[in-house]
Amino acid sequence: MIDPALGSLGAQIVLAASSDENHPPENIIDGNTETFWMSTGMFPQEFIIRFAESMKIALVTMHCYNVKTLKIEKSISDDATDFEAISEKEFEHTEGHLQTNDIPLNGTTATHLRFIVTSGYDHFVSVHRVSVE
Amino acid sequence: MVKLRSRCLLVGDAAVGKSALSQMFRSDGAHFQKNYSMTAGVELVVKSVNIPETSDSVELYIFDSAGRETFVEACEKLWGQPSVLCLVFDVSSELSFSSCGRWLERVRAHCQGLHIPGVLVGNKSDLSSRREVETSVAQEWAQSQGLQYHETSAKEMENCEAPFLSLAQLFHALYQDRLQTIQNLA
Ligand SMILES: Nc1nc2c(ncn2[C@@H]2O[C@H](COP(=O)(O)OP(=O)(O)O)[C@@H](O)[C@H]2O)c(=O)[nH]1
Ligand SMILES: [Mg+2]
Repeated sequence: MIDPALGSLGAQIVLAASSDENHPPENIIDGNTETFWMSTGMFPQEFIIRFAESMKIALVTMHCYNVKTLKIEKSISDDATDFEAISEKEFEHTEGHLQTNDIPLNGTTATHLRFIVTSGYDHFVSVHRVSVE
Repeated sequence: MVKLRSRCLLVGDAAVGKSALSQMFRSDGAHFQKNYSMTAGVELVVKSVNIPETSDSVELYIFDSAGRETFVEACEKLWGQPSVLCLVFDVSSELSFSSCGRWLERVRAHCQGLHIPGVLVGNKSDLSSRREVETSVAQEWAQSQGLQYHETSAKEMENCEAPFLSLAQLFHALYQDRLQTIQNLA
């Protein structure tokens, strides 16, 4: 399965709410679950992925830790405006291993996806990988 | 370099000096400061604190809740998910000290099991002739509750930075700890 969210295929992170220099948001789209973006305190926390071109998305898979509630919004504009809500999830708490969650998006079309972590199971959350199909 | 953000609850009985303390902290050697007046008796002070011997900083968003009971519920709604707690009493008022347990319970109930680093602050240390709460007693109670203890005088500008520096350091240590945990997972 090809993975167009990978940075190597031209996707970019155009915004992230917070950052530790050692754990930048680009780690979300490097295809590697060993590298991660770490939030640096308080909620909500968000990041926006821009695709190289408009995409039809059946499913988003997210590897993360301590995320409790997540909202996903999409934009079909070129400049990351006019976001509309498309999904809202509550993830189960895991201990000792990453949370892996599939979020079906039913073939929606988007140029950007915005991920908003509205609450966590701890003060800090990490996002290790986002991929789309 | 890491820039952390921390939501700090400032609670305690009315008139113990919460607002005086946060205003002293805000106006002293600030790198970045803002001041908002909010509805329902909650004031927000934002100030960044450097963590000694690192290039890291913690931006404290200090929510100063009004102590009057009528405001409490409205304040609780604005607490959100707190990061750290600053619990204040007045060393010249035994009553304000005895309320601390109730404040702590209320905050913990709101936090749903999440560990919140905190400090206990005995303010008005300048009122030595009217002191009703001995340092050792406050210290001991703080320790039993896992809180660090500081005495301050907002009036005499004594030690007002210390509780907030402690909170920033506690939050920074928590970040380091959680980062380690996550690194070990990956
Ligand atoms: N003597 C003395 N008075 C103080 C001190 N801090 C605050 N006050 C006074 O205590 C009163 C209540 O202070 P305030 O900050 O409004 O208390 P809050 O209700 O807890 O926010 C005011 O009259 C302050 O001037 C202090 O360190 N020493
Ligand atoms: Mg006040």
